[in-house]
Amino acid sequence: MLLEVEHLTKNFGGLSAVNDFDIQVAEGEIVGLIGPNGAGKSTVFNLITGVLPVTSGRVMFDGCDITRRQPEQVARLGIGRTFQLNPLFHEFTVLENVTSSFELHPYSSLFDIFFSTRKYRRNEAFIQEKAHEILELVGLSEEADELAKNLAHGHQKMLGVARALATKPRLLLLDEPLAGMNPGEIKYSLDAIRDMRANGMTVLIVEHNMQILSLCDRVVVIGFGKKITEGLPGEVRANAEVISAYFGADYVC
Amino acid sequence: MNEVMNISPAVEESTATGETSRTKARRWPGMSVVGALFIVLALLPLGISGSYYMHVLILTFVYVAIASSWRVVSISGQFNIAIGAFMGIGAYAAAIPSVWLHWPPWVTIPLGAVAATILGAALAFPFARLRTIYYAMGTLFLGYVVINLITAGGKTTGMSTGLGGVQPLFGDRRYYYYLTLGLMIVSMFSMYRFEFSRIGVRMKAVSQSHQVAASVGIGERRNRILAVAFGSFFAGLMGAVYCHYQGVASPSSYGLGATLWIIMYVLVGGINSFWGPAVGVGILMVIPEFFFRDLKGDLPYVTAAILLIIAFTMPEGIVGLLKLARDRVFARLRRKEVDLDASGG
Repeated sequence: MLLEVEHLTKNFGGLSAVNDFDIQVAEGEIVGLIGPNGAGKSTVFNLITGVLPVTSGRVMFDGCDITRRQPEQVARLGIGRTFQLNPLFHEFTVLENVTSSFELHPYSSLFDIFFSTRKYRRNEAFIQEKAHEILELVGLSEEADELAKNLAHGHQKMLGVARALATKPRLLLLDEPLAGMNPGEIKYSLDAIRDMRANGMTVLIVEHNMQILSLCDRVVVIGFGKKITEGLPGEVRANAEVISAYFGADYVC
Repeated sequence: MNEVMNISPAVEESTATGETSRTKARRWPGMSVVGALFIVLALLPLGISGSYYMHVLILTFVYVAIASSWRVVSISGQFNIAIGAFMGIGAYAAAIPSVWLHWPPWVTIPLGAVAATILGAALAFPFARLRTIYYAMGTLFLGYVVINLITAGGKTTGMSTGLGGVQPLFGDRRYYYYLTLGLMIVSMFSMYRFEFSRIGVRMKAVSQSHQVAASVGIGERRNRILAVAFGSFFAGLMGAVYCHYQGVASPSSYGLGATLWIIMYVLVGGINSFWGPAVGVGILMVIPEFFFRDLKGDLPYVTAAILLIIAFTMPEGIVGLLKLARDRVFARLRRKEVDLDASGG
């Protein structure tokens, strides 16, 4: 298992946002984490990536305990993520957003950077080239010199994905990649995620849009901070508990 | 009619070329201009007779480096209201061994710089949790604490009257001129490398969004501490040099007043431009001293008026205004070229 989360619990004061939650993601798998608004999906992401401190439980990544790591350490270990809101450096250009995300590969030490050694210059040239490639991949090469804050919302989200890909993650966490997108953009994003799958990327997607189900190998459903059920997309769709979590108990036939 | 026709393409031009000229804008005002300025400054002592003007220029070099060091820390999103205190740490770390242990200036000046760096990094550690106004308030009180510690230091620090008898470096003021000029050039060069390299990108990334920065492996705390340590080095260095030049270190030079003047230089010159602090010091320090000496007593009021005018009409400072003018001129030149091409073809 690449990612193993066991008994994850997070309390905000007396409120339990995530309660004894388990999830596993194997290498090369696309796993969906779905649930209604306020179920604790994004909190799970923030706990995995170290943005929020865990109350109890354990997060293992590739056999290594990352429960108490800082967010930047988690990123360095190979977990890339996108954000639901404000996913960018707004004052940077689109290209700078991607190049600044190349921090880790290849790495230049402070000494190399400050004295502009040959290694640093070579790394920078490599980064520029790779950044253009990634922008090409997500279809933003036209906007490379545009300030990120001037992009349309859908493009900002795609740039968020490009930024996460630039860190060369072994596990990619997508936080509501479809939220606020129009149907055309949704189709485009679904294709992009399908491409990632074809490239053998391991992805964990948080979403409450049910269209994402078709892409997943496995779906975990969360409600009120607890795991409701887990299974293949078809099974989950038919599960009565899921329907009741989404629409209320009255809708269960 | 013609004018109306002219305005619209110019506006379009400037927005269309604005982004592509960003890399050019970074190099502005061009290394050749800066080089020429340095040569003029290097030759100036031959022309200037009065040692008073020499004194003003030494003061200018010191403050250009310090104001720039304040700005270079600010690109990481940290508005340090204790820069004066860091100058003071450098000054006292040099003055105390100089006066009481008779260490030579060539040891105490680097000692001042290193002391400011180490203390800056140590103090930045707890402050790295604070952001925006909370950081500013925290450092404001930090400045007070440093000054109070200095005044409470008894005989060692000379209390509120200051510590006199700091050994001078040279007998001739001209040597101080060249020393401070050289240190300023080295400092500016270092800060230029810092800002316009991947380190600067990290700093700017952290200041825009620490969460997004962390998600790509750019740690907030680490980079903010690095920025403060780097900036404090130059503040401490210049503080130590200036204290040896004056022969005295007194707490009143390092309090809130000193800090506010430094921030004022940066704001007037332009906080978003690398050369902003230098231009700000030039306008608020050199011009009044050389041309409006009668003004001296009223200078704070005039400065306040200048700051208000700049805050309301040009938030990017004087350098921002010059950049705007340059972009207009370039857009006009380019339009002329287009016109010529059109008429030719």
